[in-house]
Amino acid sequence: MPALVYMLMLIGYPIIYNFILSFQDVSAFNLAAGGVRPFIGFRNYKTVFADETMKAAIWNTFYYTVSCLVVQFSLGLMFALLFHQKFTLAKPLRGFLVISWMMPVTVTALLFKYMLSPDVGIIDIFLKSIGIIDQPVGWLLNQKTAIYGPIIANSWVGVPFNMLILTTGLAGIPDEVYESASIDGASSFQKFLYITLPLLRPAMMAVLVLGFVYTFKVFDLIFVMTGGGPVNATEVFATFAYKLSFRFYYFGQGAAVANILFIILFCVALVYLKLINKEETM
Amino acid sequence: MLHILRKQASQNVIMSIFALAVSFLFLFPLYWIFTSSLKGDAEIFRKPPTLFPHQIFTDGYVGQLTGKHSVLLSAKNSFTIAVSSMTISFFLAVPAAYGISRFRLPGSKTLIMTFLVTQMLPASLILTPLFLTFSKLKLLNTYLAPILAVTTITIPFTLLVLRPMFMACPSTIEESARIDGCNRFSAFLRVVLPIIKPGLVTVCCFGFVHGWNDLVYSLTFNTNNALFPMTTTIYNLMNEYGIRWNWVMAYGCMLVTPPILIFVTAQKYVISGMVGGAVKG
Repeated sequence: MPALVYMLMLIGYPIIYNFILSFQDVSAFNLAAGGVRPFIGFRNYKTVFADETMKAAIWNTFYYTVSCLVVQFSLGLMFALLFHQKFTLAKPLRGFLVISWMMPVTVTALLFKYMLSPDVGIIDIFLKSIGIIDQPVGWLLNQKTAIYGPIIANSWVGVPFNMLILTTGLAGIPDEVYESASIDGASSFQKFLYITLPLLRPAMMAVLVLGFVYTFKVFDLIFVMTGGGPVNATEVFATFAYKLSFRFYYFGQGAAVANILFIILFCVALVYLKLINKEETM
Repeated sequence: MLHILRKQASQNVIMSIFALAVSFLFLFPLYWIFTSSLKGDAEIFRKPPTLFPHQIFTDGYVGQLTGKHSVLLSAKNSFTIAVSSMTISFFLAVPAAYGISRFRLPGSKTLIMTFLVTQMLPASLILTPLFLTFSKLKLLNTYLAPILAVTTITIPFTLLVLRPMFMACPSTIEESARIDGCNRFSAFLRVVLPIIKPGLVTVCCFGFVHGWNDLVYSLTFNTNNALFPMTTTIYNLMNEYGIRWNWVMAYGCMLVTPPILIFVTAQKYVISGMVGGAVKG
């Protein structure tokens, strides 16, 4: 099992190493001084939690994740329902929507940065022309609105993913169920409420948990779009950990933040595993 | 009867038009990146913005394809990283997936779960430890650093996509091949692999795209301009060009072309991989 050994080296070892680092005082300074890394217990965690940026990061990460999930899930569900109808263009169009998911995140981030920019951004210009706003918003430059930029961009990436998994779920519901419901006189809304939603539950749970994991660990998108700014307005766990490690060279503190991120994700992943295990045994 | 058919036909058209409109709206950013990349410096700032370039400028492309900061240099780096990480994960993960599906190993279920969890891990978790390890091993500023880091995502993915496929491939086929004189290895090579070819295409596509799209590993592990892939370069260009969006967008167009080409040619495989790799363990 060479793959196993390889993965242990490249993943298992870093996870443990990261864990150890988070309890040590490691910075560029003492690495250069000969690599003595004193054990300092929970001091990294204490320092990190005392930091104003950490508070912003906690709030932003959750706010960002929940908003993205709401937007991409509801749009994804609508798209899945739309493209589940039988019409000629359904399949090819559904396929093409997936392009947004395949694109390099770096490009997506830059593209949305361009579209949201105050002077030439198409979004501000469009909103202005239909009279919703009279001044350019300058989304990413404003502390209050900056977080919505990455939320919009990430949802754009996430919608096809939600759509595809929900479509697979929809395809698993037999037509007969709907037919017999029609015979019993159910309206389309009733059918949606009492048949589609309950039977789609497993797919919905899967997509929400996976969406949570993928959104929660966001890095590239925010790093490119705003770099965490303006003034921490879009700082999340991953960007904060990166900054601590690679801008300030407090590797120990960076590791501590990354470890917090890991523990949260690990718990969610465990919930997910429980979930699919239960389904398999059913 | 005819009446119903006609009603269905018109419904089909209405639905198609509606879906087309929705899709266009959704993919508008793609259209926008392409048209903006062809606009001249004056047109990109025009208000209201033009929906399509009135005069086509290819300066953004020509200017970046030639000269000392040529895109081609970064493109070569991107290809090197993408192809190498794809190859490594292919040769390590395909036999591993086969092994897990064929031999009942103790704890193989736990193993699969571990891989599923690894796939969900954030890059930032392994970033700091890998950076320190690589710096000790003198691997910083080499291609190897980002390549190894990318395989931490692609190997679990490959395993998760291929394992169910190997399981679905009946072992009786293999046994009959061995009766016909194949040994275990050549039976695997000549009989099993061709059967799961769709799966292999899927994991190769994803392996390549993951490597191609990576930004953070190259950005962190390499500080040498000559090794930058396109993602890192475009990130730096953004700071350099400021708001010359047409140039940034032209670079972006060139950067998205390979993933989109892969997607268009292997659409069926990509979609099945996306669903299979993410949901099933």
